[in-house]
Amino acid sequence: MQSTRIYGPRTLPTIQRWVEYLRYRVVHWITILILLAGSVIVLAPFAWTIATSMRLPAESFTVPPQWIPTHPDWSNYREVFRKIPFWNQILNSAVVAISVVIGQLATASLAGYAFARLEFPGKSILFWLIMATMMIPLQATIIPVFVLISKLGLPDTLASLILPSLPTAFGTFLLRQYFLQVPKEYEEAAMIDGAGQWWIFSRIYLPLVKSGQAVLAVLTFNYYWNEFFRPLIFLTSKERFTIPLGLNDLKGYMMTGSISVVLAGVVLSLIPVMFVYLLGQRFLIEGIMMGGLKG
Amino acid sequence: MIENSKNRTYTRREVLRMAGMSAAVLALSACAAPATPAPEAAPKKPAPSKEKVHLRIQMDPDYEKPVGDLFLKSHPEAEIEYVSVTGIDHEEVASKILSMVAAGQILDLGYAATEATQLYAGQGLAEPLDEWVKRDADELKEYFADVHPSLVEAMMWEGSLYELPFDFNAANLYFNTKLVAEAGFEHPPQDWTKDDFYKLAKAITKKGSGGETEVFGYGWTNRLWGSWMPWIFVNGSNLLVEERAPGGEWLWETFYKDDPAAKGRSGGWRWTAPKANDPANVEALEFMVQLYKEGITPAVEMGGGETLSGFFGTGKLGMIPAGGFWVGHLKNAGMKRGDYDVQLFPKWKTQRHQFGTAGLWIFTKSKNKDLAWEYSKLRVSKEAMAIHGWYNGTTLTTPVRRSMLNEERFAETGPEHWQVFYDTLDKHPDTAPIPAPPVSNPMTTLFTSYTAKAMSLEMTPKEALDAMQKELEDLFARYPDMYKRET
Amino acid sequence: MQAATPMRGSSGWQFSPIAWLAEDTLAGIARRRALLGYLFVLPTVLGILIFTAGPVVVSLGLSFFKWNVFQPAEYVGFVNYRRLFNDLRVFISFVNTLKFVLLAVALQIAVSLSIALAVSQRMATWLRYYFRTAFFLPLLMSGAATGVVLGYMLHREFGVVNYYLGLLGIPRIPWLNSSNWVLYTMVLAYVWQNMGFTLVLFIGGLNNIPPEILDAADVDGATGWRRLWHVILPLLSPTMLFALVTGIIGGLQIFDIPYVMTRGGPGDASRTAVMVMYESAFKNMEVGYGSSVAVILFILIMLVTAMQFWLSKRWVFYQ
Repeated sequence: MQSTRIYGPRTLPTIQRWVEYLRYRVVHWITILILLAGSVIVLAPFAWTIATSMRLPAESFTVPPQWIPTHPDWSNYREVFRKIPFWNQILNSAVVAISVVIGQLATASLAGYAFARLEFPGKSILFWLIMATMMIPLQATIIPVFVLISKLGLPDTLASLILPSLPTAFGTFLLRQYFLQVPKEYEEAAMIDGAGQWWIFSRIYLPLVKSGQAVLAVLTFNYYWNEFFRPLIFLTSKERFTIPLGLNDLKGYMMTGSISVVLAGVVLSLIPVMFVYLLGQRFLIEGIMMGGLKG
Repeated sequence: MIENSKNRTYTRREVLRMAGMSAAVLALSACAAPATPAPEAAPKKPAPSKEKVHLRIQMDPDYEKPVGDLFLKSHPEAEIEYVSVTGIDHEEVASKILSMVAAGQILDLGYAATEATQLYAGQGLAEPLDEWVKRDADELKEYFADVHPSLVEAMMWEGSLYELPFDFNAANLYFNTKLVAEAGFEHPPQDWTKDDFYKLAKAITKKGSGGETEVFGYGWTNRLWGSWMPWIFVNGSNLLVEERAPGGEWLWETFYKDDPAAKGRSGGWRWTAPKANDPANVEALEFMVQLYKEGITPAVEMGGGETLSGFFGTGKLGMIPAGGFWVGHLKNAGMKRGDYDVQLFPKWKTQRHQFGTAGLWIFTKSKNKDLAWEYSKLRVSKEAMAIHGWYNGTTLTTPVRRSMLNEERFAETGPEHWQVFYDTLDKHPDTAPIPAPPVSNPMTTLFTSYTAKAMSLEMTPKEALDAMQKELEDLFARYPDMYKRET
Repeated sequence: MQAATPMRGSSGWQFSPIAWLAEDTLAGIARRRALLGYLFVLPTVLGILIFTAGPVVVSLGLSFFKWNVFQPAEYVGFVNYRRLFNDLRVFISFVNTLKFVLLAVALQIAVSLSIALAVSQRMATWLRYYFRTAFFLPLLMSGAATGVVLGYMLHREFGVVNYYLGLLGIPRIPWLNSSNWVLYTMVLAYVWQNMGFTLVLFIGGLNNIPPEILDAADVDGATGWRRLWHVILPLLSPTMLFALVTGIIGGLQIFDIPYVMTRGGPGDASRTAVMVMYESAFKNMEVGYGSSVAVILFILIMLVTAMQFWLSKRWVFYQ
């Protein structure tokens, strides 16, 4: 990777070079150690969640904390499947998240490109309109939006979650930034070769913003996978619930559910997003390599 | 220019790509149309069909379905849609109902606890049940005879009944029996006092070498029900001025003629003005702060007490205020009969307790009110209560029927002294609902907010309650016509 | 996609829109690009008008009404706004939000930029992979789950965090129980959950810096901090702008973590603007008043963002 060159040792006279090299190694290892310590702290809540999900609730607060469950108890996981239609709700979440990802990639790539690279009257006004809506908290518009959803006959459908999410101010802004970073010379060269506008967009620009699209895809998937507030308002029947609503159900009536079961549900629902992330990270790196702007 | 040829070669692919995109969009709208591509499982999409009468009930089918199925047996003309509202708290439930009403959607039966009963009734959103109750008085005699009048009175608003209550929870004290025994104490008697309580709480508390508490005597969470409200009540006070609405004789005369506990019952509660900084309240909050300062109580948090149940279960906490629902809570937390027990709150100036109760209410805009009433009636019947998911198996909440609180129910889970749950009502008929006027939600925010300020020692109890009082007065001033006092 | 496939050689004398667009001149290209621009932004603009801008206008309108949803709305003019400007709780919540945003965004950018730079060093691929994944992972947890899990871990008496601090001799910290701490706790929780996002942005940004430029800097003798300050940061400025804008917008809308962890307490110490708005509309059933809070929040966010863009013109550098 090119990035490895950033801190590479450079050519210097011999003694100075050795000192420099030594310093570089020491700094390097200290940095790695700090990163390791940091990653342990950052991962601790996950370890705690997993450990607690494998323990009886009555043992959740034993001191000192047990990070490695010596007697893993899987009953909490069984309980998750018994209490909620887990697979059904996972599927619902997947349908919503994947549909929104595909839709947003399409709309945001088009709009992001137009705002970055095309000139048309009213462009900045439209861009500002979109930017402005990015800042609107969901809670501020939920009532009018739900009225609209009802008028469209969509309450209690997954479409009620998908359709309003297809346009994306955030994604448009994100991809616009990526399009802006593509050197204009490429386009000019293509224009001189007589390439058409669509060709320039799809053949030159799109491949160069793959990393941006990967970022958008991973973030969007994650956001809609975890979304709670809109599903809460829009969905009413259990078989159409997405997984965050299901997890909430695990808390039970009057919160009489067990926290360990809730945590088991959290762990289970994390697996698909992790999978998407691992997949996405590969594409993300590939995207970066492909669009490496090497000219 | 040579763009032509270039364009031609790529156009097809572009077109395909575009088609792909539009196909994706189409696919989305396609999966939108038939609601879900989700698997069968669903008990058929309850689309309003022509022959069947469609009943929308705000209830969780996981628990409610047995009763719904029972209802469908006797009412084959009906079909039921369960509107599942799952929220972290009352507000989230309310936000859903609010959005539905704003969008013009109609429910037939809504679920409301004490916290929201007066709100819905006061807004004219709920239908009074009086005429139906009078009509079906014979059928309902058995139900009312089994239910304490204070629970029924809590469901009244300005002389009319709005819900038939089916569950209630009065805040009692739960003990970790092991910790009580270790402290060298017996199970306290029903008429124990606040001082007994203090001694017990102090004896349970264990501190580490650094002076930090490791086992706490008493813990509570910051909210309206439970919380430190029981101490306000046993200290002979309330957060708001209590008044009672006239009316309701029609009910008391019909169903509770011979019940001494029904003497002086009214047409419902009116909480007309705040009295947060009443000296008795200040005294109660000072007691709470004292317990905290002495390390007997852990730092107070918001919420439903899930954290505390963990501490209680792990033997880090001796006593907690909770209702019958805690039985299910503790069972799920892995506690067994004998691990814990329950007793009334201790006597201070009085031994008056506080409770909350819940039921189904009928929407004024419902087109199937008669059917909805039939459902409400069935819902509280002996037969339905026996099979409902809340009380069948683990007791997830306390049923209102005295006859259902029996040895059999608690044989496996405990507590040993389960009689306490109904004794709270029977032995202390002055026990009353938590104060919940139509403005109970903003009131609760103020209550918890200033409670936290006092408990984190940022304000003295007096300062906190004075400030709370001031804000409550402003709040009540904004709603001068909460109760139709002219009637 | 007619516009993108112009027809050739129609040097006609008659005016026809297609010919006008297909004209083989610079002006013709500009026209085609403009049309393409409109077509490209159409789905986004239309969707946003319908599902966001429209509802916002409705909310704006609602702020002039007294409405509890159950009863018909009543026009009250500026009453909601007058009340709002005298509402101490609203004021506190806005101050909290601004403080939160400043701290959270600064910390998030500092931490994730440091990690991104550190991870860009020469190291084993699997190690790099591990670090990236580890620091990104919290983003996959929902805000609600984050609140629940961290809430347990940060419990004053029984949380694991205070347990380990206790081993180091540090007395129990009231993470969630003291007005002096709670906002910082929220910042930590939020940064924990969200830094993966800015981290990905910065890693992407660093990878996109052409090696020639760094080589050139090398030749010029720019080292260490100077290279970071004068070469890397300017090249990262578009990414930085993006991280800043999204960070500020996300921070201003902070809701679920404090909602789950403290419900805004103790007192009002962790109450945020969106929380007050939500409570007014849904808990207190004052939709009009809630809308007026939303409008003020919205204006505030607009101002902040406009300022950012104005500033960005001065320091963002596009290649």
